[in-house]
Amino acid sequence: MRRAVLAATALLVAGAAQAPERPFPGSVAVAQGRLQASLDLSDAFPSGMERTLRDGLTHVVTLHVSLVPDAGGSPLSAWAREVELLWDVWEERFDVGATDPEHPRGRRLRFRDFASLRAFLADARGLDLGPSAPLTGERWVVVARVELDPVKELVERTRELVRGHGADGGAPSMLGAMASYLLGGAGGEGQARFFRSRPFVVRDGTVK
Amino acid sequence: MKVSFRVQIAAALVLAAVVPLAAALFFASRLAEENLALGLNPALIETLQETPALYGDLFRARKELYAEQARALAADMPADPQQAERVLQAAVRRVPRLRRATWLSPDGRVVAEAEAEGPNPEGEWRAAQARAVLPSGEVLECVFAIEARFFADLAEVRELAQSYQSAGRLRRDLQKSYVAAFGAVMVVFAAAAAAAGLLLARRTTRRIADLMGAVRELARGNLAVQVEEGPGRDEVAGLARAFNAMVREVREGRDRIVYLEKISGWQDVARRLAHEIKNPLTPIQLAFQQLEASFRTSAAAGDPDLSRLVSEASLVVREEIATLERLVGEFSAFARLPDVKPEPAELGAFVEEFLRSSPQVAEGTEVDLARQADCPVRLDRTLMRQVLGNLLRNAEQAARPARARVHLSVRPEGERALLDVADEGPGIPPEIRPRVFDPYFTTRRDGTGLGLAIVRKIVLQHGGDVAVRERPGGGALFAVALPLVVTAPARTPPRRRA
Repeated sequence: MRRAVLAATALLVAGAAQAPERPFPGSVAVAQGRLQASLDLSDAFPSGMERTLRDGLTHVVTLHVSLVPDAGGSPLSAWAREVELLWDVWEERFDVGATDPEHPRGRRLRFRDFASLRAFLADARGLDLGPSAPLTGERWVVVARVELDPVKELVERTRELVRGHGADGGAPSMLGAMASYLLGGAGGEGQARFFRSRPFVVRDGTVK
Repeated sequence: MKVSFRVQIAAALVLAAVVPLAAALFFASRLAEENLALGLNPALIETLQETPALYGDLFRARKELYAEQARALAADMPADPQQAERVLQAAVRRVPRLRRATWLSPDGRVVAEAEAEGPNPEGEWRAAQARAVLPSGEVLECVFAIEARFFADLAEVRELAQSYQSAGRLRRDLQKSYVAAFGAVMVVFAAAAAAAGLLLARRTTRRIADLMGAVRELARGNLAVQVEEGPGRDEVAGLARAFNAMVREVREGRDRIVYLEKISGWQDVARRLAHEIKNPLTPIQLAFQQLEASFRTSAAAGDPDLSRLVSEASLVVREEIATLERLVGEFSAFARLPDVKPEPAELGAFVEEFLRSSPQVAEGTEVDLARQADCPVRLDRTLMRQVLGNLLRNAEQAARPARARVHLSVRPEGERALLDVADEGPGIPPEIRPRVFDPYFTTRRDGTGLGLAIVRKIVLQHGGDVAVRERPGGGALFAVALPLVVTAPARTPPRRRA
């Protein structure tokens, strides 16, 4: 699981190099020998997003936070959260399922309005980025990536659509099956926001 | 630059596969683009996306309606619980989709209640609660029915909208993946077609390369070269067959010329030998006869020992002179073989006539003849009689002391007439078969080795050939082949009017 997160994060960090980055809305600190990042991601969820999230469709919000060498390279550690949310038009509330390292099996939440949902989504405090001891002697940065409806999710849904629609409405054709397999989503529009901390070093048990 | 035939064919096949493939890919791309533009119409996707919100509006309107109806019912609610229950029962019957109405005291106790009987007229339903405050401050709780199908439809529309929304955002990728899938399928088919074509071309080019190699061998003087004709009936197989036939004819022609030249040389030798032997033979014979006559009239003739010695010497000298005369005769005959003067004949009839007019043959040999069909040929009757005579004598001598049994057969085969002379004798060992037609080659003590050489020379001069092989069942088989004469079909004379 951790390796998969790291691999996915490595790709996402590579993507971050090409995307505009925003000031890091939080801090990095050492607590009890572990590096922790705390972020306020309110900027990633502007009020204009409410209309999108209340359209009655299922949306996915992912948050990837990773610790990478300032000089570049693969992440040393990563933290990821995936939130699936749906505005229930009958109950008139947000039904949320969230999975993160603290809740690997996921948890169900409900929010009556966008403000409370936004507070939940924006709150990313105390994210554990691993032990601080191995970090001495090098400059690091924390990179956060917040994405609404990531391309991966779009690809999965599109694959299901292609697979489920054969020419006669039944089984998919060989061409459809192959197209589904070959669908990459490289050109898909992602709605990602990147945040990058200033470089720091870990010395004497503190972040400097 | 020299480009091999195989490379040219391969290039043509690849070109034939790639050009339609490129065109197909181009049109597949356009087709996918147009289909996706139709299927993933942004207006359609937008409408789908907005549908859940419409359901939301519908649900909200229903909720407001139910709240209003609950409030209206609460406003008319009598204070007496029994009367209230009757009012509630009437309301449950009257108000559409109202399934249950309950008057609850502040502590949650049911004061009055009415519930609809029977199933909901609109099918399966989900409960929608609406509360209203009674004039007494207590609560009226109403449960309305909302059609369950709305939720099923909503879930379906939501899934569809999400899928189409995703596909719409990945339209370009989807187009690319369809084109890539189509391209992959086409590449597989094109590769299979090209591979099959290459295999076939390789087979053809290999046969042509074999032919080229054989032609080079032929140019180097190798007349034994042959190419594999293969089971096919295509042009290359025909070319191979023609090449093999041509080489065979050239080889047979060369062999014929070489053999005739060799025979001609041997005929010169035979002529000289006959001359050299014959010239002194007569004086020797005369001198010995004089010597014998003088001895008989001399006094020494009375000596019985001497007389017996002279008599035995005389016998030996006469036998040897007779042998030498026979040899000279055969050498002379071989040396003076005349040129062939062919005339039209039917081979089977000729053989029959030969047997009929050669009683000496029947004396030492049992002969049978099988004729399958007419074999028109051109032959020199005198020389061909010599051929038949030599072959039958050969069979007769091979069978000695037994009586020879010879089977003759005449039949046409292709462009040749075949005359087989097969005996039931001991046969000819395979190792000496190539030499049996050489002049002076013989396995018999008293043979000259000229009989079969004369046979082959005469047959060759007729444009044919003779071969020897083992007869099935034992014995030797001499196969004489002569060219068939192609006769024009006889024309039917026009009928005359009476």
